[in-house]
Amino acid sequence: MLFNYLKIGCRNLLKNKGFSAINITGLAIGMASAILIFLWIYDEVTYEQFHEKKDRIYEAWNLASFSGELHAWNTTPKVLAAAIQKDLPEVETTTRAAWPQRIQFAVGEKKINASGQTVDSTFLQVFSFPLLKGDPVTALMDPLGVVVTEDLGRSLFGSTDVLGKTVRIDNRKEKKITGVAATPPANSRFQFEYLLPWADLRTDGDDDAYWGNNSVRNYVLLKANASPASANAKMKVLKPRYDKEDPNWQMFLYPMSRWRLYSSFESGKETGGIIVYVRIFATIAILILLIACINFMNLSTARSEKRAKEVGIRKVAGALRGHLVGQFLGESVMIAFIAGLLAVLIVVLSLPGFNRLAEKTMRLPFGEPAFWLLLLGTIVLTGVVAGSYPAFYLSSFRPVSVLKGTFRKINALITPRKLLVITQFSVAIMLILSTIVIRKQLQYAQERQTGYDKAGLTYMFMTGDMDKNYLLIRQELLQSGAAASVTKTSSPLTQNWSDTWGIFWDGKSPDDKTDFDRFSADENLAVTAGLTMVMGRDFDLSKYPTDSTAMLLNESALKTMGFKDPLGRIVKDGDMEFHIVGVFKDFILGSPYYPTKPMVVEGAKRWFNVIHVKLNNKNSVAASLKKMEAICKKYNPQFPFEYHFTDEEYDKKFANEQRIATLSAYFAALTIFISCLGLFGLAAYMTATRVKEIGVRKVLGASVSSITSLLTKDFLKLIGISFLIGAPIAWYCMHHWLQSYPYRTAIEWWLFALTGLLTAAIAIATVGYNAIKAALANPVKSLRSE
Amino acid sequence: MIKLEHISKWVTNGGARVFLLKDVNLQIAEGEFVSIMGPSGSGKSTLLNVIGMLDDANEGKYEFLHEQVHLMKEKQRSQLYKQYIGFVFQAYHLIDELTVYENIETPLLYHDTKSAERKALVGDMLDRFQIVGKKDLFPSQLSGGQQQLVGIARALISKPKLLLADEPTGNLNSKQGEEIMELFKKLNEEDGVTIVQVTHSEKNAAYGHRIINLLDGRIEHPH
Repeated sequence: MLFNYLKIGCRNLLKNKGFSAINITGLAIGMASAILIFLWIYDEVTYEQFHEKKDRIYEAWNLASFSGELHAWNTTPKVLAAAIQKDLPEVETTTRAAWPQRIQFAVGEKKINASGQTVDSTFLQVFSFPLLKGDPVTALMDPLGVVVTEDLGRSLFGSTDVLGKTVRIDNRKEKKITGVAATPPANSRFQFEYLLPWADLRTDGDDDAYWGNNSVRNYVLLKANASPASANAKMKVLKPRYDKEDPNWQMFLYPMSRWRLYSSFESGKETGGIIVYVRIFATIAILILLIACINFMNLSTARSEKRAKEVGIRKVAGALRGHLVGQFLGESVMIAFIAGLLAVLIVVLSLPGFNRLAEKTMRLPFGEPAFWLLLLGTIVLTGVVAGSYPAFYLSSFRPVSVLKGTFRKINALITPRKLLVITQFSVAIMLILSTIVIRKQLQYAQERQTGYDKAGLTYMFMTGDMDKNYLLIRQELLQSGAAASVTKTSSPLTQNWSDTWGIFWDGKSPDDKTDFDRFSADENLAVTAGLTMVMGRDFDLSKYPTDSTAMLLNESALKTMGFKDPLGRIVKDGDMEFHIVGVFKDFILGSPYYPTKPMVVEGAKRWFNVIHVKLNNKNSVAASLKKMEAICKKYNPQFPFEYHFTDEEYDKKFANEQRIATLSAYFAALTIFISCLGLFGLAAYMTATRVKEIGVRKVLGASVSSITSLLTKDFLKLIGISFLIGAPIAWYCMHHWLQSYPYRTAIEWWLFALTGLLTAAIAIATVGYNAIKAALANPVKSLRSE
Repeated sequence: MIKLEHISKWVTNGGARVFLLKDVNLQIAEGEFVSIMGPSGSGKSTLLNVIGMLDDANEGKYEFLHEQVHLMKEKQRSQLYKQYIGFVFQAYHLIDELTVYENIETPLLYHDTKSAERKALVGDMLDRFQIVGKKDLFPSQLSGGQQQLVGIARALISKPKLLLADEPTGNLNSKQGEEIMELFKKLNEEDGVTIVQVTHSEKNAAYGHRIINLLDGRIEHPH
């Protein structure tokens, strides 16, 4: 029986090649998109799932209120770990991780920059990062030890047998390799090439016991049967007990299962996070698959007349309805199976591109039985969903009417079929409109005036001897003609590293807790960055040596402080006093989607990490960079020359939105493509059934254009209805999406017009081909055949 | 075998009932060969379909092998039908996508016959109708007479007690028609298959043991 069904299924497929191709392509593309999206979702939901003790691992978070707003964040003081161990009996152990850092590893002449973290010795016992060599318990106890990944070991020594070997770190300390770790899985927040023991931090004098210094991550492993609630109750009162400075400051333990997907906090409460995207993408995947299924249903029912006779005969031959439902479902599962194989091929081919887009390293888990089971499940489910309507519809035919030939196109059928087309195009219109709005928002933000001049602006992080030799480096850069201007700053102009509510000035209200962006520069900041001064002057140490304690404000800061004559006024930051020498126009330091914050730029007395170099536009960029490299090599020979272009870094601020825009464009294109595939098949069929009518009309003198419009009109009506459904939904979703951007574009009426026209144009192009073909056909032929 | 009592069937057209069958009473015994005649629209095919359980009557009783068909549910009726009745059509109604062999085999699939047995039964049937050489051809590659042979073979494969034929020779030339009629006669006499056929041709009707004349949905009784 099954074999018989299979056979007739195959013959039907081969007999109607065009129809089969449309069906299979549509389903395959739909399934491929669904597989890609589910791979992404799988990758997201399996974040940190490989840790054996994942159910007991927590991260310590702060919860404190500033300017009336409750903030939650996860950088906590170094002393917290000890306090937790002392006061929380529920805790088995704690482990800390410092901020990830890129440091230099050297073996002989070989030098490699690697990123990693300084962690407590318990790190490898809390988290499941297996050591290939070495003892996880003791590996991080030795102050002179270091754990490296297998890959780093191989890069350094050319072999994996590196346990006990010595490396030189940052050209200043020798370390012995005490453990070789496997490279961490990609779906973990810990992406290290090395782990340094906490003792190393202590040796360097970077360990502190100050409760106000939120500088590391504190992780907690609860005991097997401990209650998280009771541990959290104790966490709540921990900080006030030890830190008298901030008595209203609470802390809580945040479970590992929520780190990746839920850790977006607003007013101290979880407000979604990546889980929102997981949900959106899952919905989109299901929608695309559904649209492909709808195609299948539509085309199958449209062809029902051809299969009706077979149904009648089979019923007369004794087939029960169940037999026929089984046969048609079997056929659609078979088509889904072929489509499934094609989909896997599409996924294999498109995965590298998708990985680049999603910035992931996903792969199809061919080796896992679960994958094949899931794939098979998806295929069967798709086949059943896609085949259900045709199967039940076709099997309901009464043999008498079918065989007597009284069976014609049933008008009642048109309604569900129209409904299916409307569903498809509603989704398509939703996605098109969303894509246009997302693109518009992206463009709107990209076109926003940054307030500084990115052209030819580069920066380098100060490593090794660069700080020491800064003045020499600057002098040579200027003399060689490579640079037009050089300025040392606290952070790149594209990043906000420091902010504080501890800025004081005369007349500041005691409950004013305005948060200032804090930046520092030595001199010539306005020249190097191309800032517009609105009052006073730039830092100039050679002319005014006291500028080391001078301060520049942006206009927002001036407004906040309320000075009429700011120049010369004294502003305090903690213990340090600065005098204002100038005010510049606001520029975007942080997110281009937010209003600029009040900002203070403090003088040369402050700390510096970055050298900004404005390249001399008289020379070519390549030549200037070459000179820069030579100068850096000369004064900082132990470290490789690394530089960044400010404009490139600035563009990275849009990466997230860019990604959403690209993804939504792909989804929209796919939906449109699959929908059009279905529309094309449907139009071809509809036109074919009206051949006689068209022939008669032509004989009576109808023009080609009138027949084309006759055939196209019906479909356009459906598109119109779809627009009325899809557009408001898209507006609603996009309106909400835009609310998360304080600096946002407006959804204007012409966006709707554009979407409507675009969809109509695509639909006309799809349907029109068939319509024109039918209209151009010689009526004699069509009428003779009747 | 078949007992129809006061069978009526109508369609409602613009509020008025149009009768397709009106108060039909008919008994057919096992082993009979009955021809139904009448002009177009007299209800011949409708009567055949009611007997064949492809169609319901609106009124009246229908007893088939002592079972009350008019009281049965769709599914029970299908089971009964599947077991005892074979159908032959004027337009053959073969499945275009299946070969001769597969067309004949189809009813057996729905009888849950084992594969080996199916092979034997279809083989016998091909032999008997002398179409072994055509078993891998598709319907479109056969002549009308050959197609009808396949249609009959298919109707007989499940060993029905009753064979219903709706103008089986209507699309055939007279020589082919005669062959089919001879075949029916042989089936009736040698295998004891009860046959009810609808026909326009007096000559073909004469093959039956008796002729039932229909006019406007009523049985005409000879005076």
